[in-house]
Amino acid sequence: MEIPYIVNPRKDTGLINSKIAIWLFLASEVMLFGGFFSAYVYLRLGADYPWPERTLPVLPGLINTFILIGSSVTVVFAWVALKLGNWRQFQIYMGITVACAAIFMVLKGLEYNVKFKHQAARLHDYTIVEGHLGYQKDDKKEYVFDRHGKKIEENMIRVVAEKVTVSVKRFHAPWVNEMLSEAKHNGSEIKLAADIKAITEEGGKEVTLAKAGEPLSLDLLGKIQEVQIAALKHNAALRTAALRMEWKETKKANPGKKGWQLSSDVNIDVDALSPRLLTEVSNVEFKVDPPTRFLFKPRDIKEGATSSRLRDDTVIAGVMEASPMVFHNLDAIDFQWLVMRAKERGADPDTAIANSWLMKNSEFVREAWAWHLAENVKKQDELNRRFGFKEDGKTPKETLTHKELYRIGWKELGLMGVDTKQVKIGGVDKIKEEFMGPNYKARGSETYPELSVPREEIRHAAKFTPAWNTYYAVYFTITGLHGLHVIGGALVLLYYLVFGRKMFLSNPEWLANRVEVGGLFWHFVDLVWIFAFPIFYLM
Amino acid sequence: MADSIEAIQKAKKTYLLVFGALLVGTVLTVLVATVPALDIGGHGFDIYDAILGLLIASTKATLVAAIFMHLNHEKKLIYWVFFGSIFFFFAMGALFALAESSPIFDYNFYK
Amino acid sequence: MSAQAAATSGHDHSHDEHHHEIPFWKKYIFSTDHKMIGLQYGITAMLFLAFGFYLMMVMRWSIAYPHEPLPEWMSWIFTENWKARWLQDGKVTGETYNMFGAMHGTIMVFLGIVPLGFGAFGNYITPLQIGAVDMAFPKLNMFSYWIYLLGGLTMCASFFMESGAAKSGWTNYSPLAGFADGQIVNQWLAGQTQWLLGLVMLITSSLLGSVNFITTIINLRARGMTWMRLPFFVWAMLVTAFLLLLAFPPLEAAGIMQLMDRVTHSSFFMPSGLFTKSDGLADLSGGGSPLLFQHLFWFLGHPEVYVLLLPAIACVAEIIPVNTRKPLWGYKSMVFSVLILGFLSFIVWAHHMYMTGMGPAVSTFFQTTTVLISIPSVIIITALLISLWGGSIRFTPPMLWACAFIPMFGIGGLTGLPLAFNLVGLHLHDTYYVIGHFHYVVAPGILFGLFAGVYHWYPKITGRYMSGFLSHVHFWPSLVCMNIIFFPMLTQGMAGFHRRWYNGGDAYLDKATAATADGANVFANTVAQNIDLNIVMSYGAWILAVAQIPFVINLFCSWKTGRKVESDNPWDATTLEWATPTPPGHGNFTFDVAVYRGPYEYSRPDCEKDYYPQWQAPKKPIGGTPDETEDKGHH
Repeated sequence: MEIPYIVNPRKDTGLINSKIAIWLFLASEVMLFGGFFSAYVYLRLGADYPWPERTLPVLPGLINTFILIGSSVTVVFAWVALKLGNWRQFQIYMGITVACAAIFMVLKGLEYNVKFKHQAARLHDYTIVEGHLGYQKDDKKEYVFDRHGKKIEENMIRVVAEKVTVSVKRFHAPWVNEMLSEAKHNGSEIKLAADIKAITEEGGKEVTLAKAGEPLSLDLLGKIQEVQIAALKHNAALRTAALRMEWKETKKANPGKKGWQLSSDVNIDVDALSPRLLTEVSNVEFKVDPPTRFLFKPRDIKEGATSSRLRDDTVIAGVMEASPMVFHNLDAIDFQWLVMRAKERGADPDTAIANSWLMKNSEFVREAWAWHLAENVKKQDELNRRFGFKEDGKTPKETLTHKELYRIGWKELGLMGVDTKQVKIGGVDKIKEEFMGPNYKARGSETYPELSVPREEIRHAAKFTPAWNTYYAVYFTITGLHGLHVIGGALVLLYYLVFGRKMFLSNPEWLANRVEVGGLFWHFVDLVWIFAFPIFYLM
Repeated sequence: MADSIEAIQKAKKTYLLVFGALLVGTVLTVLVATVPALDIGGHGFDIYDAILGLLIASTKATLVAAIFMHLNHEKKLIYWVFFGSIFFFFAMGALFALAESSPIFDYNFYK
Repeated sequence: MSAQAAATSGHDHSHDEHHHEIPFWKKYIFSTDHKMIGLQYGITAMLFLAFGFYLMMVMRWSIAYPHEPLPEWMSWIFTENWKARWLQDGKVTGETYNMFGAMHGTIMVFLGIVPLGFGAFGNYITPLQIGAVDMAFPKLNMFSYWIYLLGGLTMCASFFMESGAAKSGWTNYSPLAGFADGQIVNQWLAGQTQWLLGLVMLITSSLLGSVNFITTIINLRARGMTWMRLPFFVWAMLVTAFLLLLAFPPLEAAGIMQLMDRVTHSSFFMPSGLFTKSDGLADLSGGGSPLLFQHLFWFLGHPEVYVLLLPAIACVAEIIPVNTRKPLWGYKSMVFSVLILGFLSFIVWAHHMYMTGMGPAVSTFFQTTTVLISIPSVIIITALLISLWGGSIRFTPPMLWACAFIPMFGIGGLTGLPLAFNLVGLHLHDTYYVIGHFHYVVAPGILFGLFAGVYHWYPKITGRYMSGFLSHVHFWPSLVCMNIIFFPMLTQGMAGFHRRWYNGGDAYLDKATAATADGANVFANTVAQNIDLNIVMSYGAWILAVAQIPFVINLFCSWKTGRKVESDNPWDATTLEWATPTPPGHGNFTFDVAVYRGPYEYSRPDCEKDYYPQWQAPKKPIGGTPDETEDKGHH
């Protein structure tokens, strides 16, 4: 039994099955990427924060565009070679196509990597600072290592823990282990604060599950968890039975009455029941002896001055030490959002900027801002020269954009470094910066200095990831999904390249059809990028 | 699908021409976006830049679709399927944008 | 070539070059034969439907008896640990109710009706009715089934996790759906996340399935099967496939974005300044829009309801001509209507969003298109109704269900009409009226249509009729119970009962005055007047469950003990699926199929029989041209 029209087209439609199928699939892909691009339009139109315009370095995107367009051409030529029966040429062109795909993904990987290492923070007054966090160094400027031998990123919450209360049901085993090993490394012990006594059998006596001073361990927690689950199970069954009994009796005593009329009178007799209930141990308290410092990632902990809670409901009682976010290299200062908020309030933007925490607490920022204002005067003069003034002769026809007015990016700080501190940087390094971001080593800490932001000032912080803002969210999602399509398409084409010879010899028409279908998918992938590139990199 | 040898040879030339056009289009779109002298519609990014950018992109896309993807001599059915989906995409995008821009009241909760 | 079951008559397998034994696992488990895949879809879907039904039964307990613990006969199925975690003293909690409610909707829609209608019936019947040997891409078809199963199991596995299953409604709106189960440290183990993963798998399954269907219908039609000779069933499946193809991807986009929100902490759908009781100000960038999710969801959501509907209408449209012995009335109108319906269904979605603060321009647009879309629906249902007029009606079991479909779906559709208007939506949005409306359409509507299909095609699949007696025992209580459950919902909805109350409205009663319903609180009075309906409705639901037992018995027992069919075409039907052996073997047809006429040539005056099958070659008249294309159909 053979499916017809796999190789030879059907007469009335003139098409083979796979051609129809691929175009249908591409139609669905149009709707998929269409959904994402519609989301982009929606998010951009509705953004309540300054949308990052033209913030991505263009060069990697441009090169990737060339590469993808090139691969589009080579895949067509590969198909042509097949139609003309030239296996060698097909191999060459298809090989180039797949190689282009690989280079595309490598470049994309580089781009993503640079972003994932770049930190941004929004303060409570809506100032945004960006830069590189770096790793903790001691007074001798040497790296500090944690117990795993790893460097410690300058974005940890430090709590000097005295007591740790673990949720028996929800504790997260890896975090318990982390705390244990960190305590051990610091020469501290985590021990049970008090005896855990529980009634584990109905009508039985209290049993000591663990004695005070017993060290925290997963085994201990597991044992208590077992007891708790059994207790919950037993008590629930007991209470359910009791409630059923109550209802039965209440209904019998009140015939003809509705359920909702009786419900407030139906209560479990707690006194009668409590001797039969087992103890539910839901939290266990441990003492940290002596109190020691734990480091936590900000996302895992809800920190407080004297008590903090982890996401697995572990409560750490202890003082939170100063846990600033320390930028080893500050490379952008952005007041756009702060200004947007000020304007909404009807306040003067420049005053708002002058009153920001950043301006008040950083000499470097004050200098940079002054330099920036001076540069902007020059830029505005240039605009006035090009476009002139309106009828009143005073209002310029074109003014600087919001971004130019209120954001100092890394390139501008670089210029400032060259301008004011005579920092030298070569042409090749400049091009490398288009791919890898600012070169902190070459430009030095005069251009990109250190900045320590206290934890209390930070409203929201993230690396340049989807978490940072909706622009990056939609950028990573669309380009990431596109990248997956590149990989998928390349794998299919690679399959034909590597395993296609047999089919070329036995049924070349079929192989040409399959390569054409694969090529159609590849062109679609190129099409999406043709739109994605200008939208994300140039708008 | 071009079937005869001559047709395919001619098509090769077309493919190369289109390749060139795509490269030119790419460079053009970058220049228009980055060179201040070529900034249309006034200084900075505005709706005109967006329209121009999308126009260039659409032209490139049309070339890829028509020539590389053989749409220019494809069967009607395929046209209907593909352009139907494009139509629905635009309808979706337009209606989303319309919905976003036409609220029942103007909310401003940035106090 | 081995056949499906041993029941093939000794037909010449002249098309098969060689006989080889297909191993069990390849024949029944990883089969690429559309019929086996169709049966796999059917059985899996019915199991999921039963599961979703059970969830609803527990929900109805909570609604009818909100303060009482679950009775033994309903709670025995849960483990003690599960009950300890999710029931409070045996009572259904709000959280549990929400979880069951969200999963009931999800399972019924995505794991039940669509796979049953499109996956099962579509796969089994469509290639047969167009005269094809199989689907265009059999391996892809198999993959579609398995990824559907995987997605469904992923969603249901989450019931057993610490977080429980998804609990933010089947519509899974952000920001709630982005936050729910947020306390789970490893987000990949959270029920909400798994719901999204399952959804992505289901969407993939449907997309690949639609590509398969459309390619098959376009390119694998038999000789002479022109477009206007296609049975309406095939047209309906074609439109359904297009709806799935074009409408599902935006939901996949939304699902991916919501996954990103959960796992990467992005803010696609999280607005600025979000505040929760447990965590205070959310540590998110904000700037996103919950409305965006709603738009993307309902962009699929509306075509989805037509995806649910069309396979059922397809079944009914096949059954009625067979059992009235006359052609389908208005076939051409029905075809054009279903095409227009498909097109319009893409531009009506915001009628699910009237309460989101959209301005007059947008809501007027959607009101207009929504009212417009009622026209093709009415044309189709009216055509089905008129098809009964003057027919020689045979009340076979399928006909019973098909005839019930018409008024039940009619009620469902008519109750939908008020909802088309945003002014009415102000009062009825998110009330029980909406639940009553769509359940009328889906439960006594679509499900009855699909049951009809099961009874109708069972003889072709197994070679035996289903028991007529059991089908009546299944039918009549089901019909009565469906109306008992869903009609009062319309009343309750108009009274203001909200659709996601877990205690049936009990919380809004003023206990002091509820008995007489004349207290100062008007809403409490209204609730008091309608709350007792809950108990009647819940009993209706539980009896409905019992009424399905005859069906299950019928399904399994008739296979072995049912009355055997007399021929390969026991209903004397005209469409191509009845030209196959019973059951159809691999490759379906044992002769070279050609189609000579339309699909509903019944009771032709120039024919001795009261039906003229599509595949039967015309007799050449004595000295003259053959009377071939009687329908003058061109393609």
